[in-house]
Amino acid sequence: MMVALRLFISSAVFSSVIATAYWIFSKEPTGTFLLGVMSFGLLFVAGYTIVAEREADLVGDRPEARPVDAAGELVGTYSIRSPLPVWTALAVSCVGLGIVVSPAVAALGVVAMLIAGVLFILQSR
Amino acid sequence: MSPIAEQAVAPPGRSDLLGWLTSTDHKRIGTLYVITSLGFFLVAGALAVVMRTQLARPNSTLVSPHAFNQLFTLHGTAMIFLVVAPFAVGLANFLIPLQIGAPDMAFPRLNATSYWMFLFGGLTVFLGALTSEGAADSGWTAYAPLSEIKISTGLGQDMWIVGVFLVSVATILTAINFITTTFIYRAPGMTMWRIPIFAWEMVATSLLIFMAFPSLAAALLLLFVDRHLGGHAFDPSYGGNAVLWQHLFWFFGHPEVYVLILPYFGVVSEIIPVFSRKPIFGYTGLVIAAFAIAGLSMGVWAHHMFTTGAVDDPFFSFLSFMIAVPTGVKFFNWIGTMWRGSISLATPMLFCVGFLMNFLLGGVTGVMIASPPIDFHAEDSYFIVAHMHYVLGGGSLFAIFAALFFWWPKMFGVKLDERLGKLCFWLLFVGFNVTFFPMHLLGIEGMPRRVFTYPDVGSFPLLNSLATAGSYVMLAGVVAFAWNVVVSTRKRDPVGPDPWEANSLEWWTSSPPPEHNFDDLPPIRSARPVFDAHHPEIAKGGAG
Repeated sequence: MMVALRLFISSAVFSSVIATAYWIFSKEPTGTFLLGVMSFGLLFVAGYTIVAEREADLVGDRPEARPVDAAGELVGTYSIRSPLPVWTALAVSCVGLGIVVSPAVAALGVVAMLIAGVLFILQSR
Repeated sequence: MSPIAEQAVAPPGRSDLLGWLTSTDHKRIGTLYVITSLGFFLVAGALAVVMRTQLARPNSTLVSPHAFNQLFTLHGTAMIFLVVAPFAVGLANFLIPLQIGAPDMAFPRLNATSYWMFLFGGLTVFLGALTSEGAADSGWTAYAPLSEIKISTGLGQDMWIVGVFLVSVATILTAINFITTTFIYRAPGMTMWRIPIFAWEMVATSLLIFMAFPSLAAALLLLFVDRHLGGHAFDPSYGGNAVLWQHLFWFFGHPEVYVLILPYFGVVSEIIPVFSRKPIFGYTGLVIAAFAIAGLSMGVWAHHMFTTGAVDDPFFSFLSFMIAVPTGVKFFNWIGTMWRGSISLATPMLFCVGFLMNFLLGGVTGVMIASPPIDFHAEDSYFIVAHMHYVLGGGSLFAIFAALFFWWPKMFGVKLDERLGKLCFWLLFVGFNVTFFPMHLLGIEGMPRRVFTYPDVGSFPLLNSLATAGSYVMLAGVVAFAWNVVVSTRKRDPVGPDPWEANSLEWWTSSPPPEHNFDDLPPIRSARPVFDAHHPEIAKGGAG
């Protein structure tokens, strides 16, 4: 994770420098705000990575690791098939489309989204 | 943590419709992305041919001005949001887990949700054409006040907003998946400095998506509020600011150009070493250049706004010039890889060479218009159309075809025909340059873009006729590709795991790969694990 850590920190520092330079040169609020939000987001991720992932031991980070070194540890369950993604996307699209076409379609989409949410929670247990 | 995972549900059969609808397998989702983006490409390409036919002669009336506005809006929207970016997302979906030795993406259901949202979003944009006033007609940039309710009164513009919003959310979700997968799910020994350049480019692209796409989503929401909920964010008559739209849009829009090109830098970085029989020259330099381009691209959005008079031109001009440096580094690396290599000009390599030549011209004109004095003359002329098509058409599109020919055997288990492939390349290469090179001259002569016709003056008729003829040659190239797919699929000549004698891990497993991706993995001691396994006498171990 050291590479990821360095990447996020350097990106955050770079964007902060750009945001500061932009404000100094232009005094233009919209762009400075956008660059500021971007810098804050990157700083947040960098901070999180430092606090939570600094000592993560990934087998992919070990240069001499062999495939057998990864054996035995279970990282979770992969669902190869699930109707929920297409259902969720359809529900979200109905909400979006319904807002501009018909409130009834939007309401239907909201109900479908709620059902998808419940099913996601149940399936993840 | 290891990439070993339990497979909870039996894999669906390859041909069942329900299996495709409900699949969360990254290879199927990647394939769906690729096929869908090619479908949108055919539609968007057809729209372009209609536009070129309208512009073949002066004072033509094949389509009305209103219809022409819809045509270029749908063409631009489709090519940017539904073709070039999603093809890269599809390719990355298919390849990244294979290239880093993972069993799937980190969040398979989120991955599938992203695809379906992208598909429904794209269809929503096009469904606008069925409404009474037709599709959106304010261009793919949807500049306010053109896109405000006072001017764009139709439902088509609303459906464009909803569709593009869905696509942008889907893209953000996918970026989360790519970054997590690449950082966490690498196989034993696959350190970050050994992952293929394509995977690195997708990490850089995903970071760009994180930073840029929220601005687009926010701009679309504000526009919707303006149109239907009484907002006036972009309406100067009520204290709003139309230039605000340009800031928000281009804060997304310029990084988007790099979202559209960085993955394809990765594609050519994968293909050129294989057909030069050499390792990539300057692996670390290529990676650093990718992040330098990504970082700088976040600070150049307002070079699209020089002529508004509302931005700091020297600041944006300087940073825009700076982007040429890491891009030049990449060119140096690609040429260095080919230098004294044993080059074979198979179809994927031909497309890569075409990419280099076209993109170079697009890059050079990009440097020209990064200079405000030149940009003031070129703004909103056909010169800009030529520039952006040399970058995204001559660049990204040629890399798309390179990727199709290179990874087709891995995706579908059969190789595309080489003879037809070369025919496809030459038709597209000649057609592309005949279409778009004259547009530089048209722009210099003063022809504005986005006009449905033009008067019979100067070189306008000749250059436009030439461009239209070129577009028909390109169409023939696309037909040659489609015919190649039909012929190769019918011939059904199966290939082994590694038909190109390539380098990266996806070529270790069968073509197409099994549901679980790998039956076994080779030791990973460099950025070319498959080459190392096949040539232990040359493999030297260590990074890079």
